This record gives sequence, C-alpha cells and structure tokens, in this order.
Amino acid sequence: MQRYYAGIDIGASSAKAVIIDAAGKILGSAIRKSGADLAKSGGVVFEKAMELAKLKPAQIALVATTGYGRTNLSFANQTITEITCHARGVYHYFPRAITIIDIGGQDNKVIKLGKNGKVLNFKMNRKCAAGTGAFIEEIAYKMDIPLKDLNALAKKSTKNLQLGSYCTVFTATEILSKIRAGEKVEDIIKGVFISVVKRIIEMDPLEGDTVLTGGVVAHNDVIVSLLSEMTGRKVLVPPEPQITGAFGAALLVASSG
Amino acid sequence: MFEQMQNWYDKRHAYAKEWKKNHPGGKVLGCFCTYVPEELVYAAGVLPVRLLGSHEPQSVTEPHIFGMYCPFCRDVLAQGLQKRYDYLDGITISQSCLHIRQAYTSWQMHVPTGFSYYLPMPNCVQSPHALSYLKGEFLAFKNALEKWTGNEITDEKLRQATELVNTNRRLMRQVYDLRKQDNPPMTGLEAMYMVVSSQMTDKNDHSKLLEKILKELPGRKMDRQTGARLMIIGSEDDDTAFIKMVESVGATLVVDDHCTGTRQFWNETELKGDVLTSIAKRYIDRPACPSKDWPERRRLPHILKLAKDFNAKGAIIIQQKFCDPHELDIPAIIKDLKKNGIPSLFLEFDVTVPIGPFRTRVEAFLEMIGQDDLF
Repeated sequence: MQRYYAGIDIGASSAKAVIIDAAGKILGSAIRKSGADLAKSGGVVFEKAMELAKLKPAQIALVATTGYGRTNLSFANQTITEITCHARGVYHYFPRAITIIDIGGQDNKVIKLGKNGKVLNFKMNRKCAAGTGAFIEEIAYKMDIPLKDLNALAKKSTKNLQLGSYCTVFTATEILSKIRAGEKVEDIIKGVFISVVKRIIEMDPLEGDTVLTGGVVAHNDVIVSLLSEMTGRKVLVPPEPQITGAFGAALLVASSG
Repeated sequence: MFEQMQNWYDKRHAYAKEWKKNHPGGKVLGCFCTYVPEELVYAAGVLPVRLLGSHEPQSVTEPHIFGMYCPFCRDVLAQGLQKRYDYLDGITISQSCLHIRQAYTSWQMHVPTGFSYYLPMPNCVQSPHALSYLKGEFLAFKNALEKWTGNEITDEKLRQATELVNTNRRLMRQVYDLRKQDNPPMTGLEAMYMVVSSQMTDKNDHSKLLEKILKELPGRKMDRQTGARLMIIGSEDDDTAFIKMVESVGATLVVDDHCTGTRQFWNETELKGDVLTSIAKRYIDRPACPSKDWPERRRLPHILKLAKDFNAKGAIIIQQKFCDPHELDIPAIIKDLKKNGIPSLFLEFDVTVPIGPFRTRVEAFLEMIGQDDLF
C-alpha cells in the first residue's frame, strides 16, 4: 500500500501544508493566514491539501509540523524546527553545498548546507524585523499600496534608490521625505526591496549557490534579480518557495518512518 | 537538593536582612563585580553580596545611564534606585567595564550608603607590574575597610577568610566535577542557582549546604534525559528562565564561562609569603573577564579546555546586548570553537529574553548537532 506523509508549517504569517508520497512527490498543498488560532489554520491547510491530493486523514501515515506554531497541532507525529525543514526541502531540489536565505513573515534565516545536505551553520535575525515580510507589509500599509502590487511596481523602476536605514519605522519616515523630494512611487518601492536585500547580505557571508525561499520571495520575485545583481551570485529559487518548509517537514517525517 | 540555593537566590534580600539580625553590628557590602576580593571583605567581618538585576522592565534608570549601556548594568542600577537593597551598609566596585562603573557611580550619587569604594583593578592583568599594583590597591582597600568597620584586618584574619572563601570555591569545583559524568546528576539551572547564591550568602552557610549536597549528589538519579551536552559562554548571566527553556528541549548545560559561574570561583588563593600579594595573585590569575584579557587572549584556551574536560558538544554564546568587552571576544571564540569541532549558537540577551523565538533557535541548534538522526 502506498504511504503518504504530511508536513505542516505554521509560520508567523502563513500556515502551509504539503502532502507527499513515499517518493517525495507533492500531491497537494495549501496556504492560508496563520491568524490567531494556529491549531485551526494548521488543520484547515492540512485538510485542503488532503482534498487536493484526493486523500483522507487515515491514509496519511505520518505528520510533521514546523514553524512558530509547530507545537500547536496535537496530531503531529514529529515537530522539527523550520531551519532543519528548509534545509531538507531545498536540498531536495538543489542537492549540493548551498546557502539558503529564507525571508519569512517575521524572521530571516541564513542556512548553510554542506554538500551532503547537513546544516553547517545558521543565522537568524536578532530582535529586529528589518528585512522581513513584516517590514514590507508595514511600508505597503504606510504607503497605502496593496501588498500584491509592490512587485510589479518595483519592476517598473529604472533607478536604484537607496534608503539610509533598515529600521522599519525610520524607513517609513525616510520614505515621506523621498515622496516630498518628488521621487516616483515605483523607485521608492524598489528602494524598499533593495533595503531588504542589503539587510540580508549583512547577516552572513554567502557561500556556494544561493537559494531564496519564503513567502516574501514567492510573492516578490524582484528580490531574486536584485540579490543576484547586488552580489554577483547565481540565485536559485525552488518551485513554490513558500511551501519549502512544509515540504521539508514532510520529507523528514517520511524518512523517519 | 538545590532548592535552598534557589530560595536564597529568589529571596536574597530577606537572607541579607536576616543575616544582619543574626550578626549584630555586622555590615553588608554590595559588590558590582566579581573582581572585588572577597577574602578582604570577610576578614573585615563584612558580608559581600553581588548586586544583580531582577529581569523586570523598569522606568527609573533612563535619566542616569545611557540607554545603549548593557541591560545588566541598567537592571542593577534599577534595583538600587527602587530601594530594593536598602539594607546595604556600603557598595564597592573593582574596575572592569565602564558600563557597570556607571551603574556604581550613579548608585553612589542617588542611593548613598555609609561607605563606597572604587577599587582600581588593573585592566592589563598580563603586565608584569599588575601584581604589585594590585597588591597596593588591596592594601588601600584593606585600610578603607578597617576605617569603615573599626575592625583591624590582621594577617591571621586574612588567612582565615582565605580558607573560608577557598573552601567554598573548592566545594563548588567538586560539584562541577560531577557534571563531567555521562549523565550529570544535576542540571545547569541548579549549577546556576548554586553559584549565584554563593555570591549573595555567607560562605559559612553556603559551604555547609555544599558539603551536605556533595554527600548525596554522586548517587542522585535524575528523572530526565541528559540530551545534548552544552557549554554556555558569556558575561553576567542569571537568566534562569532561559536556562530552564534550554534544558527543557533536549539539552543539559554541563559547564559555563560566566562571571555568575566558573570565572568567579574557578581558582583558589594560594597563600605563599605575603598574604595580600597571594590574594592579589589570585585575582590576577583567575579566568579573565574579556575586559582584562589582553594582549594575549587567555580565555580562548581556557574555554576550549573547559569544553573538552566537560565533553561539551556545542556552545551557546550569550551576550548582554551592547556589552563591548564581550563583543570583542565573540568572533574569536566562535572561530576557535568551530576550529575545534564545537558548533556554537549566538544569542543576544536583554533584561527579558523572548523565550519563543529563542526556543526555535535553540531547538534548531540541537537538531543541527544531532543531524545524523534526522537525515
């Protein structure tokens, strides 16, 4: 009988679920806001992913959870941190020594993998949300631009506007002065993405190919080309970069049982 | 087994007040740094207590100490400004870093006590002149203590006090030695309670309890798994909530390099010849605070030796935010540990720590160390 596995990643912003078969093929996945009830949102994405995979709960052999809400789902067989899960999920697509940069809703991770896929080292942001999804959300809110429009706007820009600070609040203030100075909205938005990239590359030296993952990258691919331009490195993105953590969780639990 | 020590730590003020009641005329001296020679303080018949913070947000220090000075020194000053140490008869500091000195001078100004003494401990302890300099400073400190208390500090009293303090150090090292076992009979949290309580209680009481603990400890069975053996490295750290969290997710802290840990008690005073010189030598030779570990970095081989002796498989490096002396050492320590096969996790401490996000980092670190089980 075919065995199926689920990985559920309840992040600071979004809950993600992935169902795989024993060969690691993704049969269904779902994403929604984490909200205030983490168990509920985790359950909802799990069910949606099963529906897409045309499977019933009884057919799922093992479930692993990850992300901030990883301990909130009582039916999990295993909980694993998002560091290890991202490493595993990305290594599936790029089996070599790489540096993973995950830009999440509230934190950034820089994870270095050896050529055998083991985590050699990881760094996460300190008590500061600069360069994370929360930073971009705040700027979108302050500028009264729908979050989903930012990527297309930034791509229209032909200028590399530099903002002087990474701090979310200071940047919002600085943007006001750029607006007063007559800068175009698309240039300012691109400047915001440049700021995200600058913050990330300061976290740790990049080694090997760089792989970008996370919700911010999934919705704003302008970051991929900016990171490549600014570092002169090849930047790779796995298919569906927002579900990499959930996928990694599913792969890990599959190999454990 | 260590409940009494936790109790002393939690109720440090009640303990000191009780001590004064039981020692009529006895004085309590608040110490800002572990370079204060406890031998001299005990010889004067005075109880030295280490001034620590309370890990609570407060709104009293901002006018007195710069916001980007380390959270520990602000937390300490807050205790004084909030009159929590109102039983102190005096305060003293041995020079270590500017941040804690600011807490001391501000306390001196705003919470005056009958005695305050600034002890200029040399920063370059590796200088050939450091010992004679410190001996001179210890002599001046001794004279000041005599004048303050009216008690003459004879060589005999210094010898007795040295024995008292040495005994406590020796007993704590015996306890630490048991942590080298495959399954240590105690947690890192208990070790922390032991060392910090030794800094705020009478060594007579503390050593008496240690002797009792040492009889039972070797045969103690723990109702928990040891998990990953970790070392913890950093400045002042009495963040018990953090230690508890680390030890609840599959790890045991087996050794430390903290001034609320080994740095304070690791070496003894060897009485050879002149008593004050012998005591001064102990403070010159003790495991150094990074503010004094220059030009040679003697901390690095010392930390590595501790890690090896206690078989640590990883190290958590904590830093009190804005602590410059430790910031100096951190890149070198991380590199040195890595070179010797010991992975490390760096975390930045504040008055309170965000347990949730730190838990993710610690768990990820433990998964990294134990990767063979996952991949």
